[in-house]
Amino acid sequence: MRYIKLPSENFETFFNSLKEWGKVYGPVKKGSIYSFQEVDEVAELALDYTRTILPPKKFFVRPRDTMFRLKDGRWENGVEGEKFVLFGLHSCDIHGLKILDRVYLNEPVDPYYKARRDAALIVGISCMPDEYCFCKSLGTHFAMDGFDLFLHELPDGWLVRIGSVRGHEIAWENEELFEDVTDEDLKHFKEFEDRRANAFQKEIPQEGLADMLDLAYNSPVWKDYAEKCLACGNCNMVCPTCRCYEVCDRWVDAYSSVRERRYDSCFMESHGLVAGGHNFRPTRLDRFRHRYYCKSYFDPSAGFNCVGCGRCDEFCPAGIEHVKVLEEVRGSLR
Amino acid sequence: MMDKLKLGVFELTDCGGCALNLLFLYERLFDLLEFYEIEEFHMATSLSGEGHYDVALVTGTVSTRRDLDLLKEARNRSEYLIALGTCATHGSVQGSVELPIREKLKAVYGDESNPMHALDPKPVVEYVAVDFALPGCPYDKREAFQALIDIAKGIEPVKKDYPVCIECKLNEYECVLVKKGLPCLGPITLGGCNAVCVRSGLGCIGCRGPLPGEVNPASEYEILKSKGYDDEYIVRKFKTFARWEP
Ligand code: SF4
Ligand code: SF4
Ligand code: SF4
Ligand code: SF4
Ligand code: SF4
Repeated sequence: MRYIKLPSENFETFFNSLKEWGKVYGPVKKGSIYSFQEVDEVAELALDYTRTILPPKKFFVRPRDTMFRLKDGRWENGVEGEKFVLFGLHSCDIHGLKILDRVYLNEPVDPYYKARRDAALIVGISCMPDEYCFCKSLGTHFAMDGFDLFLHELPDGWLVRIGSVRGHEIAWENEELFEDVTDEDLKHFKEFEDRRANAFQKEIPQEGLADMLDLAYNSPVWKDYAEKCLACGNCNMVCPTCRCYEVCDRWVDAYSSVRERRYDSCFMESHGLVAGGHNFRPTRLDRFRHRYYCKSYFDPSAGFNCVGCGRCDEFCPAGIEHVKVLEEVRGSLR
Repeated sequence: MMDKLKLGVFELTDCGGCALNLLFLYERLFDLLEFYEIEEFHMATSLSGEGHYDVALVTGTVSTRRDLDLLKEARNRSEYLIALGTCATHGSVQGSVELPIREKLKAVYGDESNPMHALDPKPVVEYVAVDFALPGCPYDKREAFQALIDIAKGIEPVKKDYPVCIECKLNEYECVLVKKGLPCLGPITLGGCNAVCVRSGLGCIGCRGPLPGEVNPASEYEILKSKGYDDEYIVRKFKTFARWEP
C-alpha cells in the first residue's frame, strides 16, 4: 500500500479538489449529535466527531428509499448512480460497509446498492475511541481495504494511505499537494495508533462467543433485559450492519405511486410474522435475544455482524449496553 | 368508469380538527374525488345521505346519547368504517379522565343533572367494531389519504406496528430523551406521524396512543423516573390521550 503525506496547509485545497468527483458528504455537528451531511467548506466539518446517528449505510440503503415509480400505468426503476464523496469515515464504518457488501452485492445483487456503491469515493479518517467504542476487540479498528484514501492524523498534517486505483488517480491528479512520508511521520503515525490502542475502555471477548451463545439460549439474563428493553428499535435503526428493510407502496396521487423500502427492525412485531399468522419471534424476549444472535452468532465464520461502533449503546433509551449484556449472559453460564 | 364509492364523514364529540384535517389535503382531495363521492360531511357538503356508505370516517368520542345514536347509524349503514383520530381510537383528552359521568358533571357544573344525556366519553372502538383505526391528534392527513386510496383500489390498508422512535431515526433527529432528558413517550407510542414533535425539538406526548402489542410502559416509567420526573407527572403524561390498560 502506498503512503503519502498531506501537509496541514494543503488540506483545504485537497478537500475542495474532491468536489470535482461529486457532491461531498462529511460529518457535521447538529446539536449534541453528528450526522453525515453535504459539506461545502472545510469549516463545516467536525473532523473530531465520535459517531454519527445514522451510519454511512444511509447513502447506499437510504432510510426511505424509492425503488420504483408507477406513472401512467408503467413502472420506472429508480436505480441511480450519481457520483459522490463520503469524507471522513471511521474504520468501523468502513468495516460496516464491507459487511453490507456481503449481503447486497452477493447474488442476487441489489441494483440500488451497487449503483451507489460504485459511484461513491470513500475517504477514511483516523479517530480516538470514546466510552462506547469496542471496535479494537473485534478487529475492525483498522481498515486495510474498503476505502479509496484513508487519512491518519499527524501533528502537522495527514498520513494518507491509498486503498484503490481511484485513490491513486486522485493522488496523481493532485500530486503537488502531497509529499513523501518521512521516518518521523511514520513515528508519529505509530505513536498515534499506540495512544489510540490504549484509549479503549470497552472490549468484547470474541473468544468462544459463538459457542457461548450456543449454550446460553435459555439464560435468565435475556429475560431480565427483555423487561428493560422498550422494543423501540433504536439500536437497529442506527446499526451500520443491520440489513433488514420493509417494502411499502405509497400513493403520490390518484394514479401514481412509489414503491419504497425503509429500514426495518427485528424488534417490531411484524418482523417475524409470516403467512398464516405464525410469528417466529412472538415475544419481546425472543426479539431481544434475536438481535444478539444476529450480531454475534449466525455466521461467525464470515466474521461478526457487529463492528463495535457503539451506536446501539449511545442511542438506547433504556441504557442497555451491548457488551455488558453479552458478558452477563456469559457469566450466567458459569 | 366504475361508480364512485360513497363516503360519509361523521363527527361525534371532538374539537373539529380531525374533520377539518381532511380538507387540508387540498389538491389531494381531488384525487380522492376521483374515486369517492362525499355523501355526508357537514364541513364540505350540504348533502345528507340517507342511504348506504361504502366508507364511513368517524371522528370524535362517544360523549352523548346523540353521539351513540349517530355512531350506530354510521356503522349500520356502512361497509367499511374507519375510526379517525385519537378521540375515536383511544378517547383522547376527554376520554382520559376516569370518573363516572355524574361525578364529572358535579365537578364541573356543581350539579349532577344531565340534560344533554352526556355519557362517560369513550372511543368509537369501544362501542362498535371498526375496520381500520387511524390515531393521531390530529391524525396524519397523508396516512388517511393512503388508506382511502388503498380502499378505493381494493387494497387493505396496512396497520403500522412500530413506535415513534422508528420514524424519528429514519429522519436522523437528535433523540431528546437520551440527549436532553426530555420526557419523550416515543418508545411506547404508535408511530406514523413522522415524529413531527421531535423535529421541533419536543418530546412526544403520546398523541397516537399506546403502541399495540408488547409495549413496555413499565420500563418507560423507570427511565423517566431515573431522569428525575416524579410519579404523578409521569402517570399524567401517560394518560393524556389514552387510558392505559394495565
Ligand atoms: S434501543 Fe435499547 S430499548 Fe430500544 S429496542 Fe434496542 S435494546 Fe431495546
Ligand atoms: S451492534 Fe451496536 S456496536 Fe455493533 S455494529 Fe451495530 S450499532 Fe455498532
Ligand atoms: S434481524 Fe435485526 S439485528 Fe439482524 S439485521 Fe435485521 S434488524 Fe438487524
Ligand atoms: S426522541 Fe423520542 S421518539 Fe425520538 S428516538 Fe428518542 S425517545 Fe424515540
Ligand atoms: S411525536 Fe408523539 S405527540 Fe407528536 S404527533 Fe407524533 S405521536 Fe403525536
